[in-house]
Amino acid sequence: MTTGMAPIVTIHDLRFAYPDGTVALDGVSLSAEAGSIVAVVGQNGSGKTTLAKHLNGLLRPTAGRVVVDGLDTTRHPVRRLAGHVGYVFQNPLHQLFARTVADELAFGPRNLGVAAPEVAERVATTATSLGLEPHLGAHPHRLPLPVRKLVSIASVLTMRTPILVLDEPTTGQDHRTADRIADVIRDLSAAGTTVIAVSHDMLLVAAIADRLVVLDGGRLVADGRPRDVLSDAQLAATTRLAPPQITQLAMALPGRTGRRIVLSVPELVAELRDAR
Amino acid sequence: MADAPIISIVDLGVTYAGAETPALRGVDLDVRGGEAVGIIGLNGAGKTTLALTLNGVIPQLVPAAVSGRVLVAGMDCSITPVREMARTVGIVFDNPEFQLSQATVAEEVALGLESLAVPSDEMPGRIAQALTAVGLAGLEERSPMALSGGQQQRVAIAAVLAMQPTVLVMDEPTASLDPAGTADVFAIARRLNREAGMTVIVAEHDVEALASFADRIVVLDAGRVVAQGTPAEILGAVDRLAAIGLRPPQVTELARAIDPTAPDVPVTVETAIAWLGARR
Amino acid sequence: MTANLGPAFSPERGSTWLHRLDPLVKLAWLVAVIVVAFATFHPLPLLAIAVVGLLLAASAGVGSRVARILAIFVPVTASILVIQTLGPAACAGGCTPVARLGPLLLYGEGTIRGLSLVSRLLAVEAAALAVILTMHPSDLFAALARLRVPYVPNLMLSMTLRLIPILQREFAIVLSAQRARGMQASGFAALLPSFVPVFAGAFQRVQQLTISFESRGFGATSRRTSFRQVRFGPQATLAAVAGIAAGVVGTIAGLTIWSADRLIGVVPPADVVVGVFIVAATLFAGVILLGIRSLVRA
Repeated sequence: MTTGMAPIVTIHDLRFAYPDGTVALDGVSLSAEAGSIVAVVGQNGSGKTTLAKHLNGLLRPTAGRVVVDGLDTTRHPVRRLAGHVGYVFQNPLHQLFARTVADELAFGPRNLGVAAPEVAERVATTATSLGLEPHLGAHPHRLPLPVRKLVSIASVLTMRTPILVLDEPTTGQDHRTADRIADVIRDLSAAGTTVIAVSHDMLLVAAIADRLVVLDGGRLVADGRPRDVLSDAQLAATTRLAPPQITQLAMALPGRTGRRIVLSVPELVAELRDAR
Repeated sequence: MADAPIISIVDLGVTYAGAETPALRGVDLDVRGGEAVGIIGLNGAGKTTLALTLNGVIPQLVPAAVSGRVLVAGMDCSITPVREMARTVGIVFDNPEFQLSQATVAEEVALGLESLAVPSDEMPGRIAQALTAVGLAGLEERSPMALSGGQQQRVAIAAVLAMQPTVLVMDEPTASLDPAGTADVFAIARRLNREAGMTVIVAEHDVEALASFADRIVVLDAGRVVAQGTPAEILGAVDRLAAIGLRPPQVTELARAIDPTAPDVPVTVETAIAWLGARR
Repeated sequence: MTANLGPAFSPERGSTWLHRLDPLVKLAWLVAVIVVAFATFHPLPLLAIAVVGLLLAASAGVGSRVARILAIFVPVTASILVIQTLGPAACAGGCTPVARLGPLLLYGEGTIRGLSLVSRLLAVEAAALAVILTMHPSDLFAALARLRVPYVPNLMLSMTLRLIPILQREFAIVLSAQRARGMQASGFAALLPSFVPVFAGAFQRVQQLTISFESRGFGATSRRTSFRQVRFGPQATLAAVAGIAAGVVGTIAGLTIWSADRLIGVVPPADVVVGVFIVAATLFAGVILLGIRSLVRA
């Protein structure tokens, strides 16, 4: 990772309590550099979604500060932050309301004042990248749930924001579609988009994340390269994280103590071949 | 082989009302009592459709043209009312929040018992038993809406367990759960199957979890059963899975990469350790 | 705004005396209050009922929530007072203009009528909220079952009631999802498109619940049993009877000594009328200005 670059997302000592007094986030500090992919993991109730909702002003800090793309979220309305931070909700039902998928995809960029020809171009490109071309004329609510989820992701991608927040992007998806979503995220990151993904899907996390942030009970308990974070067996046990199966196998193999943590099948295959 | 299967599906075809292509076609499947069966397939392959024919929700509550026959414990699922099937088949759906409706956990579990006219004085015992089985004893008076997704799904399981069905069907029960919730649900399913002898059928994307749970895995593709066998047979056939768009457990992928022709490949971490050890 | 008001009904069983009081007693008291309120014209006893309702709510720890919900009715309340004072709805035998504010004539009878309407509203609302916010939904269900409300309609009622806070929550999420995609519209125009996802979601939820219900044997037998067994103790009977008796006395008083006839010809002093009018008009205008400002800023 390049050093010396100013972070595009800065969260400083964020504390958030709901009106009933429940503290959902307690002193979370985090920053992300432009173009990086940060995965946020933790059990339900650990504060992941609450943290994500602070990134585009859907929630405002009780104390602390959140700055995205140079904007302090407390000083700008959500619809203004929308041009800087795209947010894909966990449940696609909450996000889809247009009559056709094409309209759904065009809604965001139109709101941002993008000219019609470019809106059309963005809709077409995004639909292709997620395999949605056959559905462009369909009513979003008539599509099967996994496809709706793809539509909700696409409807935010067309806004081409420098920062993208995804809440559980692969929930309910099969392996083929989950891979497609991972590819899209990697391409976005390569093109300079900063991606912050909240996810339970450790296969996705291990495959795409530059940074892995672990929340537990509203506190940030780990923040680092996935390889380093997943090597902490005690952390995995206390937060009940389940590293990918291949990582678990590598950690359980006799005679590998002290060897580096494995995140993918090819890595372990190469290591075992070399050892022979 | 002497005893009749508890589930017998013969040449089942399902076409949803208004749909052009069938969701299931020519499905033949027998399940023995006490078996643990996993169903895998891409989204749209027919997993949910198959699950919902097992207690008659399809075609009784979801309009569809059905051909062939589904028998569970001798009852024809297309004509035996769903509410009668409930004594034999319990179903747990993917979205826990959409299954729960009552003000307290105890009442949620009691709902089915009231419907079956279980005497009131028997209820607390059966509710306690069901909640203990899913590790939620003590939460009787909590509101289900205030629980985590994993706990909600366990309430949904307890609600069908209290009715003491012989077959438990779960349709992507862990789709919206965190890793801890997923582990809990599969631990419960395993215990019910191994210790209580319940027939358990799980449609699921998580092949790693299925590999250590199922006696048999059934592969659906575009509405057809394209393969079935032990987890090792099905998940070890890495190329066939890939052709359909499915993936094997990571340890199986590793073993196949090391030895593309080995007759037996591991499908769980434990067997993988032994398999790798034997090849040193 | 709605999110801060907390859930309708009591999500967990509360421990205060009002929470534990038998729901049938509370319902009996509430019916008594409503009957008395509609029989009475005199603003003072009505205001007294409202204050007692608030005190009861406060003793059960829900006083501030009741007050916050009542605050939502401020614009309606203020507009009733303004309109009635300027042009009373019914002026049997002519109304008396008691003061003049520029071009506006203020009528004394109108102020009394307005105060009567407003205090009646407050009395009913305070009592209803004190009851609703301290009632656990399954206790309501059990209470209605004891009143021989058939099982299925009762269950549908209790599930519908539970759907309301869910819809409230979904609306808030959908609106935030649309703002997150840069939607510029605000006010009613912003609400319109959110109906689609909220109701599509509600429809799916109900559909899925129906399937789940039948799959759990709902309707399998006509002689259902009941998990919650409830008894109506002698104390509860006494409390309910006392409430109904108080209601009967109050109703008689409302129709006689506190009736509208007794206040015919009573004209409040000019400064009272002017004072009430100015306070109400200021509140009304202030709320409207605040509303416009929030629409412009949203």
